[in-house]
Amino acid sequence: MSERIGLEAPLDAAFGPVVRLIVAGIAERADLSFEDLDDLQLAIERLFAEAGSQGRVRLAFEVGPRRIRTRVGPLAEASLAAAMQAPASAPGSLTLGRVLSTVVDSYGGEVRDEGDIVVRREKLGGTT
Amino acid sequence: MSRAGNADGGDSPRDDRELLRRYHEQGDVSAREQLVQRHLPLVRSLARRYANRGEPLDDIEQVGAIGLLKAIERFEPGREVSLATYAAPTVVGEIKRHFRDKGWAIRVPRTLQELHARMSSTIDGLTSRLGRSPSIAEIAAALETTPEQVLEALEVGTVYTTLSLNVRPGDDEEGDPLDVIGSPDTEFERSEDRAALAPALGRLASRERSILRMRFEDGLPQTQIAERVGLSQMHVSRLIRQSLATMRDELV
Repeated sequence: MSERIGLEAPLDAAFGPVVRLIVAGIAERADLSFEDLDDLQLAIERLFAEAGSQGRVRLAFEVGPRRIRTRVGPLAEASLAAAMQAPASAPGSLTLGRVLSTVVDSYGGEVRDEGDIVVRREKLGGTT
Repeated sequence: MSRAGNADGGDSPRDDRELLRRYHEQGDVSAREQLVQRHLPLVRSLARRYANRGEPLDDIEQVGAIGLLKAIERFEPGREVSLATYAAPTVVGEIKRHFRDKGWAIRVPRTLQELHARMSSTIDGLTSRLGRSPSIAEIAAALETTPEQVLEALEVGTVYTTLSLNVRPGDDEEGDPLDVIGSPDTEFERSEDRAALAPALGRLASRERSILRMRFEDGLPQTQIAERVGLSQMHVSRLIRQSLATMRDELV
């Protein structure tokens, strides 16, 4: 049994804490640990940081027991698309791809029309 | 500290004094404008120290420039110090006041501040006792409050990060225990594969570089990193966020 939650927010730093708090609330409902919750927040925070500061973005959450699937997009930033399309970065190269691969259990990008990208991520509970 | 160049060939405090004299004694606003232009690099340098705290850098620089104008206004020609030396604390003071004013607008209720203060040790205690990272519900139970209050108190930490103006990545109230493990950093920086990020990594203190390596290179969870470096999990989390933001700003 899973629940779906949708959110549309401005890509504006002023709304960062709002989005972070909502993500935390959703993660709490999925019974994620403090550390898993923090990882999920960091993933979204870094994604937003790379996506620029203008426009709007939609977040869709699919929440199950100790599991959250998140879709974020569309994100038009070319650098973000490049980062997402090259997730297998060199060792030590601290790209967005490396950050995401560390803090979430799986992720991927779907390139849409006009270069927009939708990022899918899944975070499972159980980090020790 | 960087000094401003100038438009008319001179760049010494003596030139500043002549411009100051023209402004204060003759009301020559063009002299004041030259002083501002000469010292804007100083303002920018000081403003950059307060980047990544939730305010656009341009805004911080503008606030710093107001501080510079105040310093020019207040500077007494008889002083023994240079204008740059005199202006720096005024510029920094103006920037800090700006952040404090902002902070007042998002002032955190005392109950949440107190809850946040108890949070760090509670999380670490539960992690130790349970052998895993606790859930929010478990933290709430330990603190005898609601999960929603816990989440809000966690968010308070990011507000404090914004307002903690004297703390930069690398400076911290819990000391710098990772200073003792410098050797892995040398290896980290030596690898050719890692050269691309060297300039950005160079802005970070050795502790932050080590924490990033442990988290994103070795894949250690925060709990283990916290144990190794002798900091709380919340503190490790905060340092990771600050460091990533600093590195990204450096690369842009």
